[in-house]
Amino acid sequence: MICDRARGLFGACWDDELTQAEKEWLEAHFSSCARCRAEYDDYSRALELAGSLPRVEARADFVDRVLARAHRASATPDRLGEVRTQWLPVAAAAAASALLVAALFVLPRAPWRGPAEGGPERMASRPVASAPALPGPKSLARPGLPAVAVKLPERRSPQSAAAAVIPDSLFDHSEDVDFILDPVAIRRGHASMTHGDLPGTSVRGQQALITF
Amino acid sequence: MPIDRDASAPPVLSLSDEDLMARVAADDEKAFTELVRRFQGRVTNLVSRVLNDRECADDLAQEVFVRVFVHRRNYRQGSKFSTWLFTIAANLAKNEIRRRVRKRNWFSLDALQEMLKDSAIQLADPTENREATLEREQLQAAVGRAIATVPEKYRLALVLRDIEGLAYEEIAQVLGIPGGTVRSRINRARGMLKRKLQPLLGKAGTS
Repeated sequence: MICDRARGLFGACWDDELTQAEKEWLEAHFSSCARCRAEYDDYSRALELAGSLPRVEARADFVDRVLARAHRASATPDRLGEVRTQWLPVAAAAAASALLVAALFVLPRAPWRGPAEGGPERMASRPVASAPALPGPKSLARPGLPAVAVKLPERRSPQSAAAAVIPDSLFDHSEDVDFILDPVAIRRGHASMTHGDLPGTSVRGQQALITF
Repeated sequence: MPIDRDASAPPVLSLSDEDLMARVAADDEKAFTELVRRFQGRVTNLVSRVLNDRECADDLAQEVFVRVFVHRRNYRQGSKFSTWLFTIAANLAKNEIRRRVRKRNWFSLDALQEMLKDSAIQLADPTENREATLEREQLQAAVGRAIATVPEKYRLALVLRDIEGLAYEEIAQVLGIPGGTVRSRINRARGMLKRKLQPLLGKAGTS
């Protein structure tokens, strides 16, 4: 304990920041504890070595080289400022594009809420995934082949599943999936029905999971 | 870069660092040259001791002054110039250390020189005077390497305090950390350095 306290004072002793009382206490401890005395000797010798390292001097042409570099650097505008001003319009344009895309593609494909909202014409213009004929309770996924697992709304009738619409969170890739990934398997186990859908007309998917 | 100011202005040699920096902010190249001349040694030594790489330190020290010039209008009037300068130097050194840690394949010219020196030692004629010189150089090189192996955050504080002799308060400003943290980092760094140099300490004490 006493030795720990003594060693805790090494730094302040080296920096000559000890109070007179601390200095006397440490000296008294050193006279009775050879180990702490030796520790402090090593401590101060290590710091002496570090402090007495020869100064690394700058090269003779240091000033000229700095001036040349400073001239070059000042000839070109500050890159940090440039980056900020350059990226501002780009970021604004990107944000505007994202909003435009959302307005063009996502909003028209928003889930159909029934005839009262869009009418039959709007329903016809919506991209509708040509859902494969549902095979029944068993999955059609074959071993070794990619499968598309689609969470469908809970079916109320077989007719409603035939016209299933499967939008994902942002864009509806149901047509692509139908074209690229064949065969597909529809797992009916995760089905759920959207509130407000009319039975017998169409159903709306909540989520599409594609697994390979 | 617009340069000269009117002839009635006091000569740059008599100006304080802060006054010089104020003139640098007003595009006075003579004032900038004087600042570089005043601090080139300290900045080169600081960066060199932190990196233990002479070649890279030279380049980095130049970059420190280039940053001073490029960001001359960001200097806060009234603050101590050397603190601002060392802050830039410490940040650049820190970045360089981290870049090296990321790459882990850097090759130090100093290390090469050390290797060549070691082989030269073996070939050299052992006269007493030459031996003592070489021993001292070897010891200094070992101390430099030991400092360079102290972890970065402790190393910077150690070099600023025990090699550059900055006050604890100034180190706190340079590193942007509280004074208590500076003290504890320096204490830990000193302990690490002592342990690393332990095998050499007896030798150093007798020479």
